[in-house]
Amino acid sequence: MTLTLDGVRYRYAGAARPALGEVSLELAAGEVVGVVGASESGKTTLCLVASGLAPRTVGGTLSGRLLLDGTDVAPLPIHALAGRIGIVFSSPATQLTGVTGTVYEEVAFGPMNLGLPRPEVIARTESALAALGIESLAGRDPALLSGGQQQLVSICGLLALRPAHLVLDEPTAQLDPAGTRLVADALSRLAAEGASILVAEQKTDLLALLCRRVVALDAGRVALAGPARSVLGDPSLDALGVSPPAPIRLARLAAGAGLPPAAARRLNEALAS
Amino acid sequence: MTLAAASTACAIVVGGIVGPLLLVGGAVILPAAAARILPRLLRTALLLSLPIAISVLVVNLFFYPAGEEVLFAIGPVRATAEGLGFGLETLARIGAISGAITLFYLTTSPGELVIDLERRGVSPRVAFVANASVQTVPAMVERAAAITAAQRARGLDTEGSVLKRLRGVLPLAGPVLLGAIAEIEERTMALEARGFTRPGRRTLLWHPPDSGRQALARWLLVAAVPLLVAARAAGLLSALA
Amino acid sequence: MTELAFESVAHVYRAGGVRALDGVDLRIASGERVAVVGQNGSGKTTLVRHLNGLLRPTSGRVLLDGTDVASHTVAELARSIGLVFQDPDQQIFAGSVRAEVEFGPRNLGMRGSQLRSAVDEALEAVGLSGEARTNPYDLGASRRKLLAMASVLAMRTPVLVLDEPTTGQDLRGVAIVRSAVDSAHAAGRTIIAISHDMDFVASTFDRVVVMRAGRVILDGPPASVFDERSWEVLRSTYLEPPLPSRLGARLGLGPTPTDEDLIRALKASA
Repeated sequence: MTLTLDGVRYRYAGAARPALGEVSLELAAGEVVGVVGASESGKTTLCLVASGLAPRTVGGTLSGRLLLDGTDVAPLPIHALAGRIGIVFSSPATQLTGVTGTVYEEVAFGPMNLGLPRPEVIARTESALAALGIESLAGRDPALLSGGQQQLVSICGLLALRPAHLVLDEPTAQLDPAGTRLVADALSRLAAEGASILVAEQKTDLLALLCRRVVALDAGRVALAGPARSVLGDPSLDALGVSPPAPIRLARLAAGAGLPPAAARRLNEALAS
Repeated sequence: MTLAAASTACAIVVGGIVGPLLLVGGAVILPAAAARILPRLLRTALLLSLPIAISVLVVNLFFYPAGEEVLFAIGPVRATAEGLGFGLETLARIGAISGAITLFYLTTSPGELVIDLERRGVSPRVAFVANASVQTVPAMVERAAAITAAQRARGLDTEGSVLKRLRGVLPLAGPVLLGAIAEIEERTMALEARGFTRPGRRTLLWHPPDSGRQALARWLLVAAVPLLVAARAAGLLSALA
Repeated sequence: MTELAFESVAHVYRAGGVRALDGVDLRIASGERVAVVGQNGSGKTTLVRHLNGLLRPTSGRVLLDGTDVASHTVAELARSIGLVFQDPDQQIFAGSVRAEVEFGPRNLGMRGSQLRSAVDEALEAVGLSGEARTNPYDLGASRRKLLAMASVLAMRTPVLVLDEPTTGQDLRGVAIVRSAVDSAHAAGRTIIAISHDMDFVASTFDRVVVMRAGRVILDGPPASVFDERSWEVLRSTYLEPPLPSRLGARLGLGPTPTDEDLIRALKASA
């Protein structure tokens, strides 16, 4: 199932300028694509459009097409897309329904909404929990978990819907290092199992590990797109307001500092491992 | 819930003092003892009804219009036996009503109630709102505390004169409201992304257990109300005065 | 001159009985740049909230220039300690950027040209000079965070406390935070920042205090806290030393907490 954005332009209701101007992007099955860009460059808007929330829930005007396997999803209401594309936001607590007493019920919320038969709801909930390895959290109160754990519960809640694609908007932005590690590991696990993931992040080191391809946005347009290695190593990333991964930053600084060749070689060897 | 509603209705309908006292005994005290919450129930019900109970008693004692037999007098006001009688009757009624409501409140978990209502046909969206309004209160309280801390750290004086504290209303209430509104948008998106707006019923994983006997009891209680009304109208209840 | 001191400070939260601070002894001299790091729940936020009186110790004392802060209200302490919270939306209420920044200094009694210049300076420091009349909610989340910082900078307190200033910021935002910290330092202010960003910590601060379970487990300059000998302790609380220090250790170059340190050491070793 390929998710395609075809010439998409989007403007928020009442905004003077478009937030996205002519973006085309394809997410094939089993791919992990990263999105980078300065604050307000359109990362969140891209995620909202890719998940169908914009314009359905958020309002605004969309031109261009959002396609699932070549079919335009424009006529579909949001609940029909809920089972196909899942979206995770950065604030852990606001995504929890707030009305469930246990993680189990929280994860089952989606399948319950779809009106699936009870055995199916149970099966999906349990496989979602197993997919991220958080069966041990099933009986806990979601409100009392750490930020990282809450993000995992939200991801599980979406997995239970068996979406073809997962969109994540800066999922680790509000987490501490332990929480970031939890989410990063969960995403690696999913990627290894063939999930299609579109993830926007400031943490380029994280994207370097996860993504096959990376797209860089600048003022609502695609400035760079290609294999993760080349985009994250592109010298114009700084100008785009994105901090390159630590090893690349270091290598660049070293190159500019005029290191003697022997020292430069040692550094490169150390970086390579 | 049916018990509470029926008890309240009956308490209003039945006249005199014996009736309501019976209700208190049968519909409030017995079940509370069975659920092992009698002390808590007495404490809560008393707390809730004390102010109104005191005023009812005092007003009726001294100002009952049909009062004739005087018990004692304090200056120009006279306490009458009839007033005392009526006051006690009303007190018994209040006891039955507040006891029944407290019993309901103490024995029902909002989550379970909402699930049961949904099972019986209430729209999932209405059920959700009912649940959420109760369960988001702690989070809101926490947020309000954080906002107060942030503004105090900017020199907002919350320990000063009344005028000073009035000036603090906007910096305190503003972020609470704005934050609540901003949160609503995010929460809505998260819910919709999980299919919440799909029309129709949703699958419920479980619901509170119900039995034939409980259903029968409910019907009997509901039937008791019109029966009592009819009995009262026919003058059959004057024996309980 | 503002000397800060924690003397055997313990703090137990009434709700739940959590022992958030378990006997902390810490001295911060005037003009220091201190970073406080540790996992959520290690006591970092609890610690800094004792400085301006938002929290009072369950036992022990917090001293400001030798005086116990217990004898001052939070409003009084706000003259000396400016605390910027992590979530800007927990404080923003005004209709314009300028009005928002004016709130703090006004509470401290600033008026007229003094107020104007304090606000202008603060807006300049965070790059929001051109947005004085903009509604804060028309700014994106990261610029609102810079606005929150400006609103405390304008109070011109001798001590500045920042809670997670770079979280959610892009490259430009982090650079602005760094330069604001440097300017404040140059003006003689003491800076205390809670942060998860080890690179930011290593390059911007003179001293790193590592906390775990309500106690200080490491305290020293970045070079020693991120040195190989401290790694075990750091990792016990799930913190990773910055890349340059890991490479420096592997290449046997001694402590190199920042990129620049590593490059310098490489050059010197050639």
